[in-house]
Parts: sequence; C-alpha cells; structure tokens
Amino acid sequence: MSCIEGKNLSKSYGSMKAVDDIVLSVKSGQVFGFLGPNGAGKSTTIKLLTTLVSPSEGSLTILGIDAIKHPLAIRHKIGVVLQQPSYEPTLTVEKSLEKYGMMWNVSKNECKKRMEVLLRDFDLIDIRKKRNEDLSIGQRRRVQVAREFMHDMELLFLDEPTVGLDPSARRKLLDFLKNKVKTGLTIFYTTHNLSEAEYLCDEIAIIDKGRILTVDSPDALKKRFGKEKTIKIHLLEKQPIVVSLLSRIPECVVDLDNGTTITIHSEQSELVLLQVLKILSENKIEIEDLSAVPTNLEEIFLKVVRDNASNN
Amino acid sequence: MHPIIRLVNRNLTISINPGFLIWQVIFPLIYIFVAGFAYTSLIQQVPFGSKSLDYPSFLASGMIGFNIMNSTLVSGIIIWNDRRHGMFEQIMSGPFTRAHYILSNIATIGIVGLVSASLIALVGYPVFFESVDFTFITIPVIVFAAIAGSVLFGSIASIISTRLRSSEGFNVIINTVFLFFAFVSTAFYPAEGAPEPLKTFFYLNPLTYLVDIIRAGIFGNITEFVIVEMIILASLSSVLFVVATKLLTRLDF
Repeated sequence: MSCIEGKNLSKSYGSMKAVDDIVLSVKSGQVFGFLGPNGAGKSTTIKLLTTLVSPSEGSLTILGIDAIKHPLAIRHKIGVVLQQPSYEPTLTVEKSLEKYGMMWNVSKNECKKRMEVLLRDFDLIDIRKKRNEDLSIGQRRRVQVAREFMHDMELLFLDEPTVGLDPSARRKLLDFLKNKVKTGLTIFYTTHNLSEAEYLCDEIAIIDKGRILTVDSPDALKKRFGKEKTIKIHLLEKQPIVVSLLSRIPECVVDLDNGTTITIHSEQSELVLLQVLKILSENKIEIEDLSAVPTNLEEIFLKVVRDNASNN
Repeated sequence: MHPIIRLVNRNLTISINPGFLIWQVIFPLIYIFVAGFAYTSLIQQVPFGSKSLDYPSFLASGMIGFNIMNSTLVSGIIIWNDRRHGMFEQIMSGPFTRAHYILSNIATIGIVGLVSASLIALVGYPVFFESVDFTFITIPVIVFAAIAGSVLFGSIASIISTRLRSSEGFNVIINTVFLFFAFVSTAFYPAEGAPEPLKTFFYLNPLTYLVDIIRAGIFGNITEFVIVEMIILASLSSVLFVVATKLLTRLDF
C-alpha cells in the first residue's frame, strides 16, 4: 500500500519552479531516500509533503488523505524533523521532550515513560538538565530527532537528520530508525550522505533542478547505472601531459584531479586499463598506486546528476 | 486537551521564567515605592475627576497599565523566538493550524496581562487603598481594559516580530516603541496641565487610554470620556489584532 502518492506535483515561487512536475509513490513500511544536490528541490518537496506549503499544481495524497483538502488530518499522523534546527532555547532537554509530548496530546505518564526511553536511546541522559541553548549542534540535533518520537506517527519525514552528528551517533540513529521501520513506520529520508542512504533506504529517488531523475532500489540503481566502473591511478609525479595522451583511448572519460591522480570512468574498464598502462609505460610515466573503485551510490548519484546537467 | 490550550501551556512554560517574574514585580515596585514617594515632595496631589490623589496612588494605578504593556511583550518574543529557532515551522508541521497558533498567543497575552495587572494591583494596594472605589461596574471595566490592552500591545509586538528577523533590529524597535508608549502617556503624569502638543501626543498613545480606564476603574470615576476611551481601546485592539493575524497568516516558511 502506498502512503505517499503525488501526481504532477509542482511548486513555483514567482517564475522559479522549485519542484517541477514530479510523480512520487512511496510504499508503507519502507525507508524512501530522497537525494539531490543543494538547491535541487528536496526541502521544498518535504514542505509540500508535510503540508507546510500547498502545491501550485498536481495532486497529493498522504496516508490516503487528500493533502490539499485536509492538511491538518495528515499532520496528526506524521512526524517531521526539518532541516533547520528547531528548539526552545530556555527549556532543558527533558522539559523539551516532555512539552513536545504534551503538545501532541500524549498523557503525562506516557510522556514520562517515553522521555526516559528516548533519553537513553539517544544518549541524552548526561545532558538531560542542560538547557537547549547550551547544547552543541550535534546534541541539539539529537534532541530534535528524539523529540519527534515522543508521539505516535505512521509516517516520518527526516530532512538531513544526521547533519552535525559524529559517526557513532550517526550510526546509532540509523540503527534506531531501522528498528522503527521494522515496527511498521514509513520514513521519507533526505540526505547528502550517500553511504547513509545506501545503508538505510529501501528505495531511492534522485532529484535535481526540481525534477525526479530516477527512482529505484539501491541495488537496482547499481545494476542500471553501475556498468561504468571507476579506476584511479596515482602517479609518482605531476604529469599534465597525461590527459592529452589518454584522450586517444575511446569510450572513456579521464580526469586529472591534481596533476597526479587520474580517474577513468568507462564501461569497459579492463580494456581501458590495459591501454592506459601501455601508454604510461611507453611514455615512462611511473605509477605509485592503482585502484578500481566498486560502484557505489555516490558514483551513481554523480553520474545521474552529471548526465542530467549535460542533457540540459 | 484542545490544541489552543496545549499551545498556551507551552507558551507559558517557555516565556515565564523566574527572571521574568522577578522583573515583572521588582520593576514596578521600584517605580511605585522609590519614584512615587521621592516625587511626593514635588507633586503632592494629582487632580483626578472629582477626587484628588496623592502621587504614589496615581503612579501605582498607572503602573498597572504600564505593566500590562510590558508583559505583553511576551507575545512578540514568543513569535520572534519561534521564528528564529525554527519552532514556528515545527509547530505548523504538527497538529496545529495558524489559527490555533495565533489564538494561543492571544490567550497567553491575556493571561500574562491579567496576572500582571493583579500582581501590581496587589503590590500597589497599600499605596492607593485609601482612594479605591471598587463597584460591580468598575471591576469588569478593569478586566476589560487589561484584556483589551493586552491584545492591543501583544498585537503590536507580534506585528514587529513578524517583520524583523535580527535580534538587534527586534530589540531596538521594541524598546523604542515601548519607551515612547511608556513616557508619552498618562502612566507617570496627568495629561491636565501638560503642554498642549504633549497632551495631543498623550492621546495618540494607546497606553494613555489603557491607564485612564484602569484608573477610572480603581478610583470609581467612570465618565463619558472614559467610555469613549474604552470604545477607542476596543477598536484599536480589534484593528491591530486583525493586522497581526493577517501578517502571521502570511508568514512564509
């Protein structure tokens, strides 16, 4: 069953189309990753889906409810962690959680129970009496995410929730979210961190310039776009001539990053590699290190966005 | 619990801290007991309707209106803080409408205004109790003034908070506007006897109406002019409330 159904959704601000005719279908009980470069339209899409703004065109159903006609009914059933920090500076961590639960009409006893669990799960026990204004960015972010679990919800929107978190807190949060999904929660997750998306998401959409470029599972994306492999060669010394030497090889893209690192993208990487090595040897260019980079989501993301930019 | 009550609960929790409460009591106390008695050597009696009030009584009753105005700053601060710290967007993405948010702010202002007025009335009572003339008519008049005044000044603070994002800008504007309201009014001195241009400015200031009505309520001097002032205060409050609501409704995310 789909819990988000958006058809031909657009959002314009004056003449600028922040979201341009997107079609979205998110199944219940999964983590749906929403990836895109800065200014791609991710946050505007989240604002549309969370009913903070109305679409300029198109139709949108969230949890079977028409988002344009009944936004409040939807907001009763969703949780939202927005990209920008949100906190009450003078409240302590535990008071923030307690008051947030109260705002969602959670009973006082239940609030207390949930608060204790969340303080433990998000490593907030030591700072429970600290005021929000005295917390670090990462601690504040943890409180912001933890706070959202003070109330029940069917669908959770997380807009770059791991920004400011250290690697251990990040992994802990991702595992916490994975466990929540097992209990039936659906998560709409935007991030810049592609390894996070690969670790967490069941399905991924890549958005750029307000348009969705592709939607698929991480594995399917790798199969579709992963034919192209990447080879990195580190030279012993700077050799600017290398680019012109290698430009003779067909069906490959060569980048010379800093004069010593050659990155080759090709679908026929083995053949290309042989030719590269031959040319380097003929020209007596010494190699320090050579590695083949397995196809990952980052490569796919960059390729999809790059192809979109060149098509435009 | 109704969403508005939940938001009022939250507003009161975040805005009423010990510092705020102490300030709300200490500040007027200094005015009443220091300035009030210190100026007695200069101003022995202030004519007020058919009565003649001593200056501390006059000042203490003025401080009720002044304190209502000051306490309603809370409204502007809540909205401004919510916008600055991302809570406005967070609340709007929760089970609330903009109407809930606006009404909860008005209710918060009303509560803070009434409590504040009661507090100063209580503290100032020993000063003006000799001249007090409460009746069944005057008490509702005082309550009306406290609520209408709260809505009016709360709306002004809300309007300012919707237009400004920087803390410096917000503080400068709020302090300037409220300083004008405080000192170009009848809170500290009577309009009678003031130079004509200043007197005109007094009556361009809503705090004058609020203070006049509260004084009339406390000292039992409700005249036709006070009724006109009540109408003006109610009209101004309504207009500014509508403007503040419109601006809040149009706030972008």
